[in-house]
Amino acid sequence: MSKPNPPLMMQRRRWLQLAGGTLASALGTAGLSGLMLAPRSAYAADYKALVCLFLYGGNDGMNTVVPTDATRHGQYSSVRGALALPRSSLVGLGGTDYGLHPSLSALAGAWSDGALAPVFNVGPLYRPITKAEYRAADASSSLVPDSLFSHSDQQALWEAASTDALTRTGWGGRAAEVLNTTNPVISLGSGGGRFGLSSLNAALGLPDPGQNFGVDGHTAADLGWAPVAARKAALDTLYAQAQDNVMLEAYAQQQREAFATSQRLAPIVQAQPGSAAASALIDQAFAPLIVNGQLSTPLAKQLYQIAKLIANNATVQGNRQIFFASQGGFDTHGNQIAYGNALQGTHAGLLKQLGDACAAFHQAMKNLGMGPQVTLFTQSDFGRTFKPNNSSGTDHAWGNHQIVLGGAVKGGATYGTYPTLALGGPDDVGVDSWELQGRWIPTTSVDQYAATLLRWFGADDGQLGAILPNLGNFSQRTLGFL
Amino acid sequence: MYRMAPAPARVLCFLIPALIAACGGGSGSSSGGEAPATATVSASTSTTDTTSAPADQPTTQRDAVRLADQASFGPTEALIAEIRSAGAAKWIGQQFDAPASRYTRGGTSAFHQYTGSGNFCDNRDANCWRDWASNQPLLWDFYRNAVGNPDQLRQRVAFALGQILVVSNREVDGTYGLRNYQNALLDGAFGNYREVLKKVVLSPVMGDFLNNANNDKAAPNENFARELLQLFSLGTCLLNADGTPQGGSCRPTYDNQRVRAYAYALTGWTYPAGGATAWGCWPEGTHCRYYEGDMVPAARYHDTQERTLLGGAALPAGHTAPQALEAVLDSLMQHPNIAPFIGRQLIQHLVTANPSPAYVQRVATAFTSGRHLGIGSGQRGDLKATVAAVLLDAEARGETPGATAGRLREPVLLFTGVLRALRGRTDGDALGWWWGEQMRQHVFRAPSVFSYYPPDYPLPRTALLGPGFGIHNAGSALARLNYVNSVVNWGGVAPSASIPDALGTRVDLSGFEADAADPAKLVDRFSLLALGAPLPSAARTAVINATAAFTPSSSGADYLKYRTRTAAYLVFAAPQYHVIR
Repeated sequence: MSKPNPPLMMQRRRWLQLAGGTLASALGTAGLSGLMLAPRSAYAADYKALVCLFLYGGNDGMNTVVPTDATRHGQYSSVRGALALPRSSLVGLGGTDYGLHPSLSALAGAWSDGALAPVFNVGPLYRPITKAEYRAADASSSLVPDSLFSHSDQQALWEAASTDALTRTGWGGRAAEVLNTTNPVISLGSGGGRFGLSSLNAALGLPDPGQNFGVDGHTAADLGWAPVAARKAALDTLYAQAQDNVMLEAYAQQQREAFATSQRLAPIVQAQPGSAAASALIDQAFAPLIVNGQLSTPLAKQLYQIAKLIANNATVQGNRQIFFASQGGFDTHGNQIAYGNALQGTHAGLLKQLGDACAAFHQAMKNLGMGPQVTLFTQSDFGRTFKPNNSSGTDHAWGNHQIVLGGAVKGGATYGTYPTLALGGPDDVGVDSWELQGRWIPTTSVDQYAATLLRWFGADDGQLGAILPNLGNFSQRTLGFL
Repeated sequence: MYRMAPAPARVLCFLIPALIAACGGGSGSSSGGEAPATATVSASTSTTDTTSAPADQPTTQRDAVRLADQASFGPTEALIAEIRSAGAAKWIGQQFDAPASRYTRGGTSAFHQYTGSGNFCDNRDANCWRDWASNQPLLWDFYRNAVGNPDQLRQRVAFALGQILVVSNREVDGTYGLRNYQNALLDGAFGNYREVLKKVVLSPVMGDFLNNANNDKAAPNENFARELLQLFSLGTCLLNADGTPQGGSCRPTYDNQRVRAYAYALTGWTYPAGGATAWGCWPEGTHCRYYEGDMVPAARYHDTQERTLLGGAALPAGHTAPQALEAVLDSLMQHPNIAPFIGRQLIQHLVTANPSPAYVQRVATAFTSGRHLGIGSGQRGDLKATVAAVLLDAEARGETPGATAGRLREPVLLFTGVLRALRGRTDGDALGWWWGEQMRQHVFRAPSVFSYYPPDYPLPRTALLGPGFGIHNAGSALARLNYVNSVVNWGGVAPSASIPDALGTRVDLSGFEADAADPAKLVDRFSLLALGAPLPSAARTAVINATAAFTPSSSGADYLKYRTRTAAYLVFAAPQYHVIR
């Protein structure tokens, strides 16, 4: 199936790109966005932010959100064996037949707020596919997403909302481009893979709180001395020249943008908890995760930065901003649980970091009075096998359960379709004796998940189609959780 | 054989028929009748004698700096002179024979022989974790060796292999084990890829990293088998010999059934004997965790059923774990994917991120045939032949790489490149948790088995790949400049008392100050060292002006020192230094 033609706005951007990188440099810091048509005012002066939280390695969704009704919990326990979480340990999602892993207890408040919702069995899909179609499809069929079960490819498919692992852009980057946001996707931590890539930009990657973000030796005070000013002038000249080598020019252009961005954002980026440039409202929310003036986990650092950038959106500029954060280590092939104790171990530790940091972030947004304006959502390479292996772990699967969090979320309910808990059953890819592991065929696509988020963010139907080329293959475009 | 300036090899090969054999053309070459594009022509290379050194073939400054960036941790004035007079082929031959570096620092296997009730590091000094569990002692050795030891090419190749065959201290502890693993890569860098792969499969460190140690036939995990196929040998898509996807799009190399077949075939290995814990060794029939030596068979956990491996290779029922291992390795080495899959990545790690398909094919041919220009054993997987093909190819040699040539100078090579060029020294300590983490390349602590960045990361705003850009962003862009500033202008890092044989991290510009009285001469000297050529005109003028801005009246007696620092800073901060072409 051919992709729909990109709308005129994107074609204009591409023309400007082809006209030469020097055009961007001639425009200085504003880049190309100043030349674009004024954004259509589907969104006006209000501010909205999307925060993508990518769980790298493949989070075990089956132990993240667990059925609590007797029948299904029984099925769950009998297959999960030593990895099964006892019913009594789960953090109940009142009003539903589900509970969260006990390590996510910090999110109980968000559930009571009505600000949390699980979305079940989401994954890359070209179009809805039945088990029979999946099994009948040729290995190279476009009906089946590329390289299922491969970390790198599935990360790429989630980041790109695509079934083609060679896609060079991410859906976050395309959204920023189509919606003409002031800034590219802003990424924290280890960076966003492809998520923030657009045809025009990489994501804007920023460092952790307290880290330097600027050119050393070229502070305003330093530049008061003529020789240092001459040195900075030489540095600018080195980077201002157009280059005849493609990679060299791309590198130089990124550097020019880094110079400009650091001047604007350095004070915000560098602010540590308790410092003059920090926000007391954010610090209060993150207080449980601040030890000796420092954020105590990598995810807390990233979400703290994002909270600051949201609070300071007037300096960051733009009333629509997409952020990217990530947490790694979820590839729990072995020792997913502690010996003899499913409530502890690797996965429990990861979810504790996740839950605590997300709860603090949600509280920070509430403190700022911006709860309904910010939506955080998870993504991950894939779910994991329902049936564990003999290494006390699980292997690579496909459809997975995600979490959305924010004041605008229609919480207190679940979305998507929970799989039938039968190995080799209608939702499991397998029929052969060697393939009865419980790898779920998704019943909701990444496109639908992303469209729900982007519709709330302000994208209209045409824009959704441009950002998510496969969305038209699904009759239900959005899922209702926003 | 007379000396001549290097010329495009194709021209030479057509004009001088007597040299066609040495050009590698003729029967048996899978590149058909076209003479493969190599830049060196030497009548003294024969097809069987791999030890006779090629004759000297002097080359240019630019070509020498290119080779130094490809095959060492960065040019020095001395290295450039060496390469210029010997030429690429002879220098590479000398590198094959250079005495090999090793990793030696850090704790011992006692780390896994503790039978007390607490942890090994209880009641030990504050540096216990660093010295016995972590990667830090290896990192110290890595940077000392990289900056100072003569076997530069071996170390570069091992570093490249270590980014394909990844283990990481993020998930595996035990300095002695990590040390054994990395030493095996150094030892095997000029051997055969099959042997390297075998050491990796049998490594107990890898056994923990990817969960194959004690993998149980009753319900094996798929982790190691999947990544062995995906990352260590074949990749997910069927490839032509030139690295392009067969049929123009991704046709899967294997399916899940095949992954599970390999997982079953690779069950039944446990740690070598020698480890001990307070609670004995579990499960029954296995050894305690121990990283000294290769894994050993644990027959009761080995699945002996017949398995169909790739390429139709069969593993008949009743096999032992070692027999299954040989069948697995054979199936991978025989698969047509392995040569382009590994060959292309070696090109990307050493020379350029976007090699032409023809270049990939030439390198794949060397891997498959085991020979290149008389170098190599003739056995499939010969790494000397492969590396020689990578470095001696026309796309790697000469003066004028094309508009799409190049690779980002990755953080490790930035750290070592500046130190080597500017006569610096390091004990490595500042280049791990500080600079390495800031720039997201902390050696031996990759985020996962997928290394620091993927080989197919797209370079935005272009149609190219830019693997190194996967860890590059606004923060690291500025950090690059700040690293150069730190060592050039701010004195680097002082030695720390807690590091054995501490050196800190610093450069020594004193030998360059002699030219500082003439700013143009100084700037050109740094440019020729760092870039192999002067800066482009406007940039050169600006740098000279900035250098000349320091005068006796502005800066007193130290003005020559400040000029030297300024010129060095600007040249090594220049974009031309950070994108290697």
